[in-house]
Amino acid sequence: MDKMVIKESRYISKKAKILRSVRMTSNEMLFEITLEGGESLDHEPGQFVMASIYGVGEVPVSICSSPTARNSFDLCVRAVGKVTHALHKLEPGDMIGIRGPYGKGFPIRILEGNDLLIVAGGLGVAPLRSLINYVLDNRRDFGKVHILLGCKSPKDMLFINELDSWNERMDVHYECTVDRAEPDWAGNVGVITTLIPGVDLEPERTFAVVVGPPVMYKFVIKELLGKNIPERQILVSFERHMKCGMGKCGRCQIQSVYCCQDGPVFNYEQIKHMSEAF
Amino acid sequence: MKDVQYLVLRKDNLSSFIAHLSKDQKVMAPVSKGYGNYAFEEVTSAEQVALKYIPTILPPKKFFMPQRETLIEYNLQSGLEVNAVLEHEKMTLFGVHTCDLAGIQCLNMVFSERPKDYNYLLRKRGISIIGLECNEYCDEYASCNIVNSNMPNGGYDLFFTDLGDCFVVHVNTQVGDEMVERTKMFEKPSRTHFDAFMALREAKSKIFKNEIPIEPRDIPELFDRSFDSEVWKELEQKCLSCGNCTNVCPTCYCFDLLDEMNLDLNSGRKFRKWDSCQLEPFAKVAGGENFRKSRAARQRHRYYRKFEYPVAKYSRFFCTGCGRCSRACMADIKLKDTLNALIKERMNKLWIKWL
Amino acid sequence: MKKPKVAFFDFACCEGCQLQVANLGEQLLDVLGAIDVVEFREVMSEKWDKDYDVAIIEGSITDEHAVERIKKIRQRSKVLIAYGSCATIGGVNGMKNGFDLEDAGKYVYGKDYKFFPTIKTHAVHQVVPVDYFVNGCPIYQPELVAVLKAALQGIPYYVPDYAVCVECKLNENVCMYQRGVACMGPVTKAGCNSWCINNGNICYGCRGILSNPNESGAKDVIAKYSIPMDMVMNKMNMYNKCRELGENE
Repeated sequence: MDKMVIKESRYISKKAKILRSVRMTSNEMLFEITLEGGESLDHEPGQFVMASIYGVGEVPVSICSSPTARNSFDLCVRAVGKVTHALHKLEPGDMIGIRGPYGKGFPIRILEGNDLLIVAGGLGVAPLRSLINYVLDNRRDFGKVHILLGCKSPKDMLFINELDSWNERMDVHYECTVDRAEPDWAGNVGVITTLIPGVDLEPERTFAVVVGPPVMYKFVIKELLGKNIPERQILVSFERHMKCGMGKCGRCQIQSVYCCQDGPVFNYEQIKHMSEAF
Repeated sequence: MKDVQYLVLRKDNLSSFIAHLSKDQKVMAPVSKGYGNYAFEEVTSAEQVALKYIPTILPPKKFFMPQRETLIEYNLQSGLEVNAVLEHEKMTLFGVHTCDLAGIQCLNMVFSERPKDYNYLLRKRGISIIGLECNEYCDEYASCNIVNSNMPNGGYDLFFTDLGDCFVVHVNTQVGDEMVERTKMFEKPSRTHFDAFMALREAKSKIFKNEIPIEPRDIPELFDRSFDSEVWKELEQKCLSCGNCTNVCPTCYCFDLLDEMNLDLNSGRKFRKWDSCQLEPFAKVAGGENFRKSRAARQRHRYYRKFEYPVAKYSRFFCTGCGRCSRACMADIKLKDTLNALIKERMNKLWIKWL
Repeated sequence: MKKPKVAFFDFACCEGCQLQVANLGEQLLDVLGAIDVVEFREVMSEKWDKDYDVAIIEGSITDEHAVERIKKIRQRSKVLIAYGSCATIGGVNGMKNGFDLEDAGKYVYGKDYKFFPTIKTHAVHQVVPVDYFVNGCPIYQPELVAVLKAALQGIPYYVPDYAVCVECKLNENVCMYQRGVACMGPVTKAGCNSWCINNGNICYGCRGILSNPNESGAKDVIAKYSIPMDMVMNKMNMYNKCRELGENE
């Protein structure tokens, strides 16, 4: 077998440097990353990258910052496997590899001019943060903005400082709930679906954007359909273990679609008949 | 283009033809492994080649997408040096049956679809292909007729048809023509050769029959309606999740991407290796959720990746009818049986509707 | 970077896995370049009285002395690797667990058996926590090197949890069942590159049974090839008897 260096490869990563790392919960860290030479990642909200630690492996991570922040981007990483645990041990200045961005993100052009109902469960707030911050940076291009957020308990809350700022804005309707709370918690307690009935919305001009753990979709979508939001206007983003990011390796396939190329963002009409999706 | 595209190679010249080819590159051909098994291995003479063979244990995809392939090499010292690499080898495949030619065509479609896979496409350039016609039906596992891969449909440089004491050779490409010119062993066919050739094709059309009671064009619709079929639940009981069916499939191309460090802990590589949707962790995500947890769902996924999903995307079946998956299954999951069971179940449902 | 202090220990075993290490050949030099071996009975007589970065354990735990000794080693080790079937799954020593312990003692030591008190055979992880497993009888050398690298990198090593058949098929071996021979490959964890079958032998199940085997499907296959069930069970128990040990045994 001969071996040669080739110029073109889909698998080579761009060199990237960790600028900042922040521990957000016992299990999640936020990394601010910049590509070598200050190159822009040039992503759409909702897209993902393949983050690589040389010698350990690669993982798909959704980009959780808005493309309006040009010189760096954020990744929120939960330590669950070999690579994510290794990522948590990295420090500012350490180099990683970045491939991407990959996939179809949230369809910003279609969302513009409409009302948004953003429903985030658990780690689902990470990809949605890229959309939320984009919308807030371009606030007048959108109609009403509702943000509903749910997580297991107050100590699992991500982006706490930003949640407060969303809450304080007069042009955003923000509510959050936790499944379980300690006595000092003054907010809502209950699963996220309990927040939906209280939202005052015009279904025809509302796009619902839902991201959360697999179990959440079924219940939330049922509520949204009950609110008469058209199926095409319910957007979801799926988590799959992409390996190549290019529709080849087969890992992220959901029946006839590849999550990495056709998704990870889908509208409900596209995938409602796919039992493997949920 | 020259008008003469058919030539003849006398069988007693085959050995020197192969010897000639193997002077400057490897020649890979089917060889017997015993117990009715064959494999594509390197040969240097015609005696080693099994001219009459049933599909090899692994299809020739192993040359196009190696089981383990280094994609990236890196060195963390000296400010992180990263290189994309291509592992490649110039070779000729001799004796590739039409089912396997179809398999290679499927892989070509997948890896040349954007975003293109350069590693695959560059390696493919170094591989010449000499096809070999099947004069007879392999065995009860083959179903090449229903997917129309029992006859040559391109995908080769030269194509050999065995006429007993000689081969009729179709020259399909410039690369094939160069092999002919270089080896200087081919003759012009006579009328008798053509008659024998046509008689063989005629006889084949009688031997190769579609034994599955469905028209190929109706297969996607059958699958459209069979997602919740009981047939998959039966496979749940049988399947051992050994991955044999996908590893031996000429059109299965799923892979895993992995990192490997050298012992110096400074240099290493990224490589890909064959993976299988039949193995339990394949569709598992970090949180522990497995989107195809049951064996039934995994088997169903395999069948849909042959008969439905690629039809929508590439307008062709990704089953070549080679029968390898059925031959390799210890649990007796047979492709023809599965299709027959789906058809039967569908017919029963239709009857109930009409009654 | 300071080289990690690595010690090799053996319990009830044939020391064949240590031999595999000594026989690493050219790669041994690379291994020795990456680690500092402080104890290794097979090749050196020195002892080390401080903590170990990595302890590599061969053999199974078969008496109370061994239980105490492995607990002490665990306390002194940052990382503990069990290697070889005896250490990882109990291995052939586990066959003892199919007998009454007193009978077993009498059979081996005759009338003096009381001077050699014994316990049921345990794999190392059934006594103390184990960080890495290198399965096999003997270990497959490339896997040991892979595990060692993972240990030095501080990242986990996942033993493949799919059948030996996967690797066997990739090696284009003729299936043993096709040759009319019963083989443990379909229910045994891969990772050995189907080493035995590549060399004309069957798989004996030395790497341990899959975590989620399709038992009824496997029985159908065994019936299809007309293989007596008790013969298959004997083959399975040759290496895997210790899997039956309960939590508190």
